[in-house]
Amino acid sequence: MRAEISWRHGLKGLALAGAAALALGAGAAGAQPSGPPPGAGGPGGPPGGQAFGPPPEPPMPPAENLVAELPAPTVPRMRPVPAPAADSPMPAADPRDLRGTWFHNQRLEFRMQRDMYGVSVPYNMDGAKVLARRVTSLKEGKPYINASAICRPPGPQWQRDLNFPFQIFQSKDWIQFVFEEYHGRWHVILNPAKAPRPAQKDYMGYSVGHWDGGTLVVESKNFKQALWLDVDGTPLSANGKLIQRIRKVDNGDHNPYLEIITTIDDPTYYTRPWSVVRTFGWHPGLTVFNEYNCEEQIGDPSVSADAGLLPEPQR
Amino acid sequence: MAGAFVAVGLATSAPAQAATPNLEGVWKIAAPTNTLKPVGGDPPFTAEGRKQYNENKRLQAKGAYDDYDITMSRCNSPGTPRLMLTPERFKIWQQLGVLTFDFEWNGALRQIDASGRPPIVDPLGRGLVPTMTGTSRGHWEGDTLVAQTTNLSDRTLLDDLVPHTADLKVIERLRLLDRDTLEDRITIEDPAYFTRPWEAVVIYKRQPEELFPQDVCLDRLQAHQPIFPQ
Repeated sequence: MRAEISWRHGLKGLALAGAAALALGAGAAGAQPSGPPPGAGGPGGPPGGQAFGPPPEPPMPPAENLVAELPAPTVPRMRPVPAPAADSPMPAADPRDLRGTWFHNQRLEFRMQRDMYGVSVPYNMDGAKVLARRVTSLKEGKPYINASAICRPPGPQWQRDLNFPFQIFQSKDWIQFVFEEYHGRWHVILNPAKAPRPAQKDYMGYSVGHWDGGTLVVESKNFKQALWLDVDGTPLSANGKLIQRIRKVDNGDHNPYLEIITTIDDPTYYTRPWSVVRTFGWHPGLTVFNEYNCEEQIGDPSVSADAGLLPEPQR
Repeated sequence: MAGAFVAVGLATSAPAQAATPNLEGVWKIAAPTNTLKPVGGDPPFTAEGRKQYNENKRLQAKGAYDDYDITMSRCNSPGTPRLMLTPERFKIWQQLGVLTFDFEWNGALRQIDASGRPPIVDPLGRGLVPTMTGTSRGHWEGDTLVAQTTNLSDRTLLDDLVPHTADLKVIERLRLLDRDTLEDRITIEDPAYFTRPWEAVVIYKRQPEELFPQDVCLDRLQAHQPIFPQ
């Protein structure tokens, strides 16, 4: 994973990473990378032997400036979920066996503003304009159509970032994530010979994975359409890629969790790849899902099929 | 084909789980049909049930689907037991004591909780609202999963015409007749619409293990394509 962090960003990153860690539940705290973020510099300060503090901050790039001036995102309320009972079944000990029921255990982010190191999302101007357009449309009460709003699978990242559980089923040739909402299925293909690319593009893209030790590395691309990565519309173009590094963490405290680091690689909207980390607690008690049946409303012929939302202008 | 699945089980405190029969696999109805056909005859309608059935037939002839069958007009979940008649494949997964039926049609799900665990109290009270697939609790009697489903919305049908009320109770007995044949004996109890409980039997054949392509019924609806692909 690339992590190119400037001196200015690195300093900010340290403080913000700490703030992010405070917002996590007990089970998630271990998911944060330990130590200073790469590139933050050693205890002696920046290279060059200057001992007089950091250099003046360069002016904020116009794209970041545009994003920084947007109204702050809503901070969501979390669905209350009881902790698993003490005698609950536990996940398999094999780190390559991810099966079971998992549920987000961090506070959700309606808009990704910073990466996992606390650095601002590296928008280019095209990406910043897309986000600004979407946030403004929300503020004005005229939100744009997106997959989630019309009951379509919203893509792997937003699907995982919803406040609903998912189950993982596993065979030797593929791993299947089944989500409570949006009829979401995320297929991670381990053996492409056994699961050729579908003839038609999928809302969830085409995902191929391999094991790197105890970490499942998955590249997702070939999406049917551009994605919103979150509620506010952090964009991924249809040509963008998501690289996910997934591992099961068990510190022996009866509190296992999945850690998923997602790298967003999309030169259409960002100046470089950037990454976010999420953790998902073990919740066997949530194996029976609540029913998702969005079609009863959105399919009603007497109401608008686009949920009353507006088509998004493309420029 | 079943051997394609990971053989190891999840760590569990329930030692009896090792002996649980295995219905996992990919299945497809052996004789596609739109009708949940009672063993030995027609559904034993009450007068009220017959009246609603005839009304559904009248609406079907008019093509007025949204007035009686919102699966056909909206892609609404066909619910329990009609999902078991979908012409496409479904997978059964058994994990943590729960059987998850993962349908190729629209990515629909139904689940039977045979874990024996008490249900989680939902502070939002969603369990009070009837749903299309209802609440299914099951247990094993030898090689047979016996599942009872209640809390079913009266906005679904038993098949493409037969109505039911919200008091419907569906009892299913699922078992393997042989390695590649699954039987679902379905008993319908709904005193408002039927004079007595009645039974239907649906047979499924095992299919090769494959990932299902994404199927989004609303996309087909929007494109004026059939709700159930031909």
